[in-house]
Amino acid sequence: MLSALPSRGLENLQRPSLGSLGPASRLGIPHPAMTAHSFALPVIIFTTFWGLIGIAGPWFVPKGPNRGVIITMLVATAVCCYLFWLIAILAQLNPLFGPQLKNETIWYVRFLWE
Amino acid sequence: MGSLFRSETMCLAQLFLQSGTAYECLSALGEKGLVQFRDLNQNVSSFQRKFVGEVKRCEELERILVYLVQEINRADIPLPEGETSPPAPPLKQVLEMQEQLQKLEVELREVTKNKEKLRKNLLELIEYTHMLRVTKTFVKRNVEFEPTYEEFPSLENDSLLDYSCMQRLGAKLGFVSGLINQGKVEAFEKMLWRACKGYTIVSYAELDESLEDPETGEVIKWYVFLISFWGEQIGHKVKKICDCYHCHVYPYPNTAEERREIQEGLNTRIQDLYTVLHKTEDYLRQVLCKAAESVYSRVIQVKKMKAIYHMLNMCSFDVTNKCLIAEVWCPEADLQDLRRALEEGSRESGATIPSFMNIIPTKETPPTRIRTNKFTEGFQNIVDAYGVGSYREVNPALFTIITFPFLFAVMFGDFGHGFVMFLFALLLVLNENHPRLNQSQEIMRMFFNGRYILLLMGLFSVYTGLIYNDCFSKSVNLFGSRWNVSAMYSSSHTPTEHKKMVLWNDSVVRHNRVLQLDPSIPGVFRGPYPLGIDPIWNLATNRLTFLNSFKMKMSVILGIIHMTFGVILGIFNHLHFKKKFNIYLVSIPELLFMLCIFGYLIFMIFYKWLVFSAETSRVAPSILIEFINMFLFPASKTNGLYTGQEHVQRVLLVVTALSVPVLFLGKPLFLLWLHNGRSCFGVNRRGYTLVRKDSEEEVSLLGNQDVEEGNNQMEDGCREVTCEEFNFGEILMTQVIHSIEYCLGCISNTASYLRLWALSLAHAQLSDVLWAMLMRVGLRVDTTYGVLLLLPVIALFAVLTIFILLIMEGLSAFLHAIRLHWVEFQNKFYVGAGTKFVPFSFSLLSSRFSDDDSVA
Repeated sequence: MLSALPSRGLENLQRPSLGSLGPASRLGIPHPAMTAHSFALPVIIFTTFWGLIGIAGPWFVPKGPNRGVIITMLVATAVCCYLFWLIAILAQLNPLFGPQLKNETIWYVRFLWE
Repeated sequence: MGSLFRSETMCLAQLFLQSGTAYECLSALGEKGLVQFRDLNQNVSSFQRKFVGEVKRCEELERILVYLVQEINRADIPLPEGETSPPAPPLKQVLEMQEQLQKLEVELREVTKNKEKLRKNLLELIEYTHMLRVTKTFVKRNVEFEPTYEEFPSLENDSLLDYSCMQRLGAKLGFVSGLINQGKVEAFEKMLWRACKGYTIVSYAELDESLEDPETGEVIKWYVFLISFWGEQIGHKVKKICDCYHCHVYPYPNTAEERREIQEGLNTRIQDLYTVLHKTEDYLRQVLCKAAESVYSRVIQVKKMKAIYHMLNMCSFDVTNKCLIAEVWCPEADLQDLRRALEEGSRESGATIPSFMNIIPTKETPPTRIRTNKFTEGFQNIVDAYGVGSYREVNPALFTIITFPFLFAVMFGDFGHGFVMFLFALLLVLNENHPRLNQSQEIMRMFFNGRYILLLMGLFSVYTGLIYNDCFSKSVNLFGSRWNVSAMYSSSHTPTEHKKMVLWNDSVVRHNRVLQLDPSIPGVFRGPYPLGIDPIWNLATNRLTFLNSFKMKMSVILGIIHMTFGVILGIFNHLHFKKKFNIYLVSIPELLFMLCIFGYLIFMIFYKWLVFSAETSRVAPSILIEFINMFLFPASKTNGLYTGQEHVQRVLLVVTALSVPVLFLGKPLFLLWLHNGRSCFGVNRRGYTLVRKDSEEEVSLLGNQDVEEGNNQMEDGCREVTCEEFNFGEILMTQVIHSIEYCLGCISNTASYLRLWALSLAHAQLSDVLWAMLMRVGLRVDTTYGVLLLLPVIALFAVLTIFILLIMEGLSAFLHAIRLHWVEFQNKFYVGAGTKFVPFSFSLLSSRFSDDDSVA
């Protein structure tokens, strides 16, 4: 599973070293299933996170005069924040165009991030 | 839901206050702040009301207390403000307090007057001493002479004398001496010269020290003058001129011995005066200190007393004139407390007959009472600023607690700025009991009152800043960017693929200033960034193209969901007020209209996001064009988003077109049918209790009619029943206007939500500019003085960030978020035509010295 890219020295640039999925991955290109995984995992994590807050949270609010207010706040927060995150990730799921970088930036990104 | 969802049920109660216990009962009620009094004597002027004498007495006491406070402040004695406020004084103590205060005032005035007199005296004596001392130097060159002496001392301006005067041996030489104000010396001299034609000789000298003028109290410079003249008439003239110029004239001693005697006498007198004055000031201070201890509690007590009498003035007497009747609005939840307060008041005044209350039915709309705590109060104030909710309608403040900071944060979205705002609000919240914050001036007080709003705004801004990946205009690469630049190089691909794709190599990169990554090449794009916007977009030159598309779609999605939620809240209102027909004839058509058009827009947005990708990007249709084509039915068939799109759109349009006339005409026609078809009468049951009719007919819940039968006149004029006739034209007109407003509003309000995009773009750009102009310039200087330059640059960056980005942009986003709530959200369901419940409570009186506006 592709996680955060390990930082490599300059000398490793020409030799990407990933393992086991066949010739395509030898060149550092992920298997299409990998892309789906890298989308499914955040979705599961965040859905459960906001689901816990929005659906399970209200059961644990102590009884008191402010119970209704706190439950409403929890549910509203969960809905708003989950929706916002979902929009952000869905907008990037299938990009129609890519970022336009200056050549200096391309050098920098290539050497430092990859 | 908590009590914040709807305002509380209220009832109208009548309080029967026995004359002995009325004051104590009201005192108990005022401490608790339970009820709102109704004015039963509206047509009586305030000078003719029953307790006007008592109110006047309170005002007299207030006047004395204000004078006391003034004197205490003038003497610079600290005035302690107590923590707890004392209760209103019982009637027995009032007379005693009044006598005490009056005596104190008289004493103070007398002592102050005496002190003033003594000081004035002292000043005069001091002036006399100065005058004597200075005039001594005028004539010290010459020998003292008898007034009848014919020879004159040689004087500087002897050309004014002519020799014939020297012959007048009997002429007496007179002296006038005194002090004159510095500004008037020249005019004085000129006047003397003109009036006395040279028969006077004026010498004057300036006093080194400035003395206080006893009349005005200013410290000014004085000139001592000595006028010598011949003859009686000149003497009169000189004296008159001296009077004119307000000179302080003192008798001039004739001989040196006289002068010495007078000086010694003066010195002793001055010493005595100093001691007496000192003692008087001490005594005054003592009196004031003693008064200062209790003046605060007295002020509060008098204020409470006055408030009680104002409320008593609103009550009316019953037939026997022994009992006061008050009508109050009381929340039903507090009825027990009300009974208890009345019992307590009756007990304290020791009356044999206790005061009691009973509930009376009414048709009037009660005031709106929503119980808030210190957290929800800010949000309720935001909603109330637009309009206080009608009785028992849904309160948008409950949802505003979260949606308002959220929409603010969408417009403000910056992790760093949000965190600073959160810290500032946290500081305010943790120190909210600090006394200085409670009593600060207007602007600081506004921030203080909104501290919880600021806290939530900061928190949500941190979250949206994470999602926008914007921290002081820089992006954070937490999980690794999912865009891979290496995959664009031809060396990453097999040679067979080279022919199909446009790939890079080193020389391509070197010779082109900008190059664009292509997501259709395998390996370049590896899935969406898990939390927010990918950090590579911050480095891209076409960043705004991507962000604009993302943010505009996001704004529209959020807006439509917000508005749909508003319409759904309207359904709750219709359910509560038992007007089910409104749901079918108004809410459902509204929902259908909104969802068929704009809900479909949201569907198209999500569909395009999910289905179209880089491979199909050439044929990806523009959503806006598709949306417009939905209504225009163009001749040329474009590709469309999905198969069968035309049919779906046609169905949606038909549903929309059908819901519009239902929205326009459904409700009026239904009401007309009800009115004509069902000829029995019913009363529309709202949240308050029903009126029993004379015929003892139980009023049934038909729940559908606005019609009420006849005019039920009650005993009191102020409980008149409002009678509504069924006016079809008016109902039709109202509904048509509402429908047009709704339909056009759907479109304009959806577009209005695009301000979420606009403001977040503005914020991001301002932030970026500030960074580029300041920090980048500072960070790029790499000589040795660069480090020193960085300090003022960072300081300037911080100051500008706070003032421009936090305060200005914050206020702007705050305002726009408020507008979105007040207009776009609330006009879907909120009426806001109620009056606010203002209880009779002593805590609403100001408890500070500086406010001296009286309680109305």
